This record gives sequence, C-alpha cells and structure tokens, in this order.
Amino acid sequence: MRLSEVWRTSTFRLSLLYGLLFTVGAVALLALVYVRSAVYLTQRVDRILDAQASAEMTLPPSALRQTINDALLVNGRASVFALFAADGSKITGNLRVLPAALQPGGRPIEAAASADFPAATRLLARRLPSGEVLVVGRDISQLREIRRIIASALIWSGVLIVVAGLACGVALSLGPLRRLRLLQAASHDIAAGDLRRRMPFSGQGDELDMFAGTVNYMLGEVERLMAEVKTSSDTIAHDLRTPLTRARAQLHRLAQSPKVDPADIGRVTAELDEVLERFIAILRISELETRARSAGFTATELGRILEQAGELYQPLAEEAGVQLSVSAPHPAIVEADPKLLFEAVSNLLDNAIKFTGEGGRVRLELEAGGAGPRIIVQDNGPGVPPGERTAVLQRFYRSERDRLTPGSGLGLSIVAAIVRLHRFRLELQESEPGLRVVIECRPSY
Amino acid sequence: MPRILVIEDDPQTAEEITACLAASGFESLRRFDGPAGLEAAMTEQFDAITLDRMLPGLDGLALIKALRDAGSDAPVLMVSALSDVDDRVDGLRAGGDDYLIKPFAPKELVARLEVLLRRHRTSGAEVRLRVADLELDLVKHEAVRGERRIELLPMEFQLLEFMMRNAGQLLTRRMIFEKVWEYYFDPGTNLINVHVGKLRRKIDGPGLLPLIRTERGQGYMLYAP
Repeated sequence: MRLSEVWRTSTFRLSLLYGLLFTVGAVALLALVYVRSAVYLTQRVDRILDAQASAEMTLPPSALRQTINDALLVNGRASVFALFAADGSKITGNLRVLPAALQPGGRPIEAAASADFPAATRLLARRLPSGEVLVVGRDISQLREIRRIIASALIWSGVLIVVAGLACGVALSLGPLRRLRLLQAASHDIAAGDLRRRMPFSGQGDELDMFAGTVNYMLGEVERLMAEVKTSSDTIAHDLRTPLTRARAQLHRLAQSPKVDPADIGRVTAELDEVLERFIAILRISELETRARSAGFTATELGRILEQAGELYQPLAEEAGVQLSVSAPHPAIVEADPKLLFEAVSNLLDNAIKFTGEGGRVRLELEAGGAGPRIIVQDNGPGVPPGERTAVLQRFYRSERDRLTPGSGLGLSIVAAIVRLHRFRLELQESEPGLRVVIECRPSY
Repeated sequence: MPRILVIEDDPQTAEEITACLAASGFESLRRFDGPAGLEAAMTEQFDAITLDRMLPGLDGLALIKALRDAGSDAPVLMVSALSDVDDRVDGLRAGGDDYLIKPFAPKELVARLEVLLRRHRTSGAEVRLRVADLELDLVKHEAVRGERRIELLPMEFQLLEFMMRNAGQLLTRRMIFEKVWEYYFDPGTNLINVHVGKLRRKIDGPGLLPLIRTERGQGYMLYAP
C-alpha cells in the first residue's frame, strides 16, 4: 500500500480537514489566552510603576533620595529605583546608565538583564521639576516566563495536533483501503471468469457494504444471463448440427455417385434452407432483444391487428382443415409497436394452426380484462407438456415436437422476445385439451 | 442487355452476385468501396445499382444521398446485414428503392432487380393492367378473366395487382409478403403459398390457360405464355 494511495482516500482527506480545523481552533484559543494574559500582566506592572513614580515625584528632592535609598534596601533585588542628573549622570540608585531608549515621560520600556540588574525589567522614567530624571522599574522575568510557557504550549500543541491528525488520517484510511483491496481482488477474480465469486461484506452495513451489495446483485444478473447465453448457444449448436450433418452426408454421397440426380440436390438445398431459416429466426430474436425499447411505439388498436392477422392466416387455416375464428368485440388501445405485435400474433397463429391439425379449432380473441387487454390464442391441439412450458419461452428453445415439423421452431421464442420488449406478460396455459397462449398487454415496470 | 453496377466490398459476395447476374443475362460492373462506387455511378449509365449498406470509404446511405442529389434516378437495391425495420426505413428514406437482407439467395436478388427495372421503365400510372385475357381495372377495382368477373377480397386484389404489374418476373415469397402485406418478418413458406394458391384457384379456372406459375423452391410468376 503506497502512501500516495492513502493520501487519495476520502477518509484521509476528511481526517486531514478535521485536523486542520481543530488545529486552527486550538491555536486561536491559545493565542487568545496568550495575548490576554500577557497584556493584562504588562498593564498591571505599568500601573504599579506609574503609581510609584507619581508618588515619588511629589516628594521634595532630599526626601526623594532618602526614599530611593530606603526602597533599595528593602526591595533592591526585585525593583529598580534610580535618579539621574539632567546631563544623564547617575545620582543614586541601582541602575548605572540611563537606557537610551527610555524617554522621560514616555511609555514604559522593557530592558534585558544586564550587569547592573540581573533580571529583565520594565522601566518607566519621569523628569522632575528640577530637571533630574527619576527611573522606576520592576523585575518582569516571571511575566516573561509565563509568556514563554504559553507560547511553547501553543507551538507544541499545534505540532502535536497536526501530527496526530495526519497519523489518525492514515490509520483511518488504512481500514477502508484494505477493504478496497479485498473488493479489488474479488473483482479481478470475477473479471478472470469466476462468476460465482461475490464481493466481500464486512457486515458493518456501511457505504462499502452497500456498494458491494449492489455489485453482487449485478453479478447475479450477469451470471444468470451468461448461463442463459450458454444454454442458448448450446441449443443452437445442437439444433444446427443435425441438419448440417445430414446435408454433409448427402453431399458426400453425391460426390461419390457418378450421376447427379437434381432431386438429391433439392434435398440438400432443403436441408440447408432449414438451417438458414433458423439463422434468420435467431438473428431476429437477437435483434429484438437489443432493440431500443420504445423505438416504434405508438397508440395501437389491438382489435385491428387481430383482424388483420386473422385475415392473413385464414387461407392457411382453411388449407390445413382448421377452423380459425377471430373475436375482438371491444376496441382496446395500448402503447405498442403494431408491426411487432402483428408479428407476435402471426407466429402464435402459425404455431396453433400447425400443431392443431385437420379438424382442429383455433380461436384468436381480444379480452378486456381489468388489468388491461389480453390477446388469447387458443387451440385444441396436443398442447405443450407442463414441464416444457417455461422452457419454450426461453431464448432459442425448440420444443421436441418442433423437431418434426417444418419451420424454424423458434416462433415462440420470437413471440417471447417481442412480449419482453413491450414489458407485457406471456403465459402458456393448459386448455383441456390444447394450448392457450395469453399476452397480457399491460406493461409492468 | 441491362447493365448493373454492383457496389460490394466483400469479394466473395460480389463474385456471387455478378455470376448470378451474368446467368440471368445482365451485364455487371463491380466496385469494392464507396468512393469508387460513387464515381462509377456518376460517370457511367447503369440500369440499376446494387449497393452494400456498409462500405469502406463512404457508407451506403451517404453514397445514395450523393447520387440522388446529383440527380440520378437509377433504381438502387440496398443489400445489408442490418435487418431491423428502422434500418430498412433509413435505407429507403435515403433514396433506396428496395432493401434486401444478407444472407440472401442470389435468385432473390435477381428477382428484386428485375422488379425494380420494370418499375423504372413503366410509369405506374396505369388504370388498367392486362395479362393475356386477364384484366384488372384499378379504378373500378374489378378483375375480369375473359368474360368472367372474378370476385376478389381486398388483399387478393392487391396481390394480383402486384403480380400483374410484375408479370413475367419471378416473385419470391418474401418479396410478395413485403410488397403486398408490407410486413418484414419471415412468414414461413406455407403462408404465401396458400394465398397464391387461393388466388390461382380464382383466376385460373378449369379449362383455362394457367397464368400463375410456380417456380419450384423459388417463388411465383404471373405469365402470359
């Protein structure tokens, strides 16, 4: 796991952002404490100095010298008292030279520790009426110490927060990254063909789990479709092998025989025509499945479609000795592709007529159900055994009975594809005897 | 001898088409890509063109547009592996006259070309069609064979009209289904046979010269012997 990966994780960025905000807050707080306390303490010292200076200035010159000397005796280690002549030479006190920066009557200044006075001081100077300069001062090393402590606390805590924030960010990002790695490993396996594999769950129900759940659902669908495609291609291969093998055998025989009979060529051609017909049907199904759903959708009157389909198939039914009746008593309008619905109904009629046989009956009906109109094609032929009913609706499935009759045998698959395209429902029912195919013309979403 | 321009990039398909055209008495010229095909179509006179939809250089739709824009009205038969209704509509809208889906039987291609050539030659504004003693009045919607009036259902009338307009031409089942019923799916062989059979019983009564001929395994032809 590289550091650059950690930096890019959203967890890391979030914790960094939080760390930054926290640092700014803490620094602001400490800075406030620092400024307020330093200013307060300094001002307090300044007030004391001011009061002292004012008190001493009221004394007569001789008393002033005495007072200074007394004060030096009592408090000479913590305070500065000094008196300078107008020319700057020292008269008395524990400060040897008047600091250049110290303006009599000006604001107090700070002076570093020197040979005169071993500690840092804050000094205030006042000019006496006699022209002499009075200097008072106080040891402020304590004040400075406090300031230093606060400042270092500020710096160290800032550094600590930043470092801890970064460390937390890295640590927090490692977990999700590790799980991401697991998800990646799983997807690599899946991409390599292991469609049984699923994304791992941590059980925390967090966003990664939610994502894994979605992907797993998708994988389930993919697996199902892949299995369906595999079954489809197996079915197609199996289905085409028989006529192709027969055609090949016949060609082989033709190649061996000295004289070619046109009837033999006709048989081979018929065999290959059957293969071609099946291919056309297969292509048609794929085409229907990949088609943009609502391409040719328009308000469609179902009754008219049924009547036209009935008209188209009437002669075929007559020839097959099947009685075909169409009944569409009520108009029913649905959003659909009329050409495709016609194709579906045609395929159903073709099937019904083909399998019912001489003397049979086929009824094409439009029923106005409460849940939407239903197209029903009912015959009294042999029907489809219950075990095969779902299978015949699958892609490219050919029922056993189809193998003996001409045609692609994929009519129902085409119907199923068209019905799926409309999101209608297709159902095969037993109708004692015979088969009843129902298309529920109500889109389900 | 009608001259056909075959624009087709797959050499084997092109070979098949030209061989079949030659066998049916057509002269043909082959071009293997869009630009060369367009150039040939613009510079020489052809009676019809077969055009692959997907061509290197310039696709079939663009080619046909360019051709129509240049004022050519040579009939064009589009040949395509794209079989969806929308693709067909695109092809016809671009200016194609007919649309044939790959893979196809060579005979089917020739049959469609012949229909195109004939339609191109005739105006299509006739009010009366006549083949031998069979007459179809397009205004009064009446069919008469000799002296006998024939009762026809609407679809039968349209079927007969289509067959008479293309008399002497081989009409495949698929062509009949597409042109008469205007549906483009595979109806199975039997359905059209039955419809033609029914029509035949009505117009070719006993003792009359049979006008509708079955071309085994291929289709039908309305024919005045």
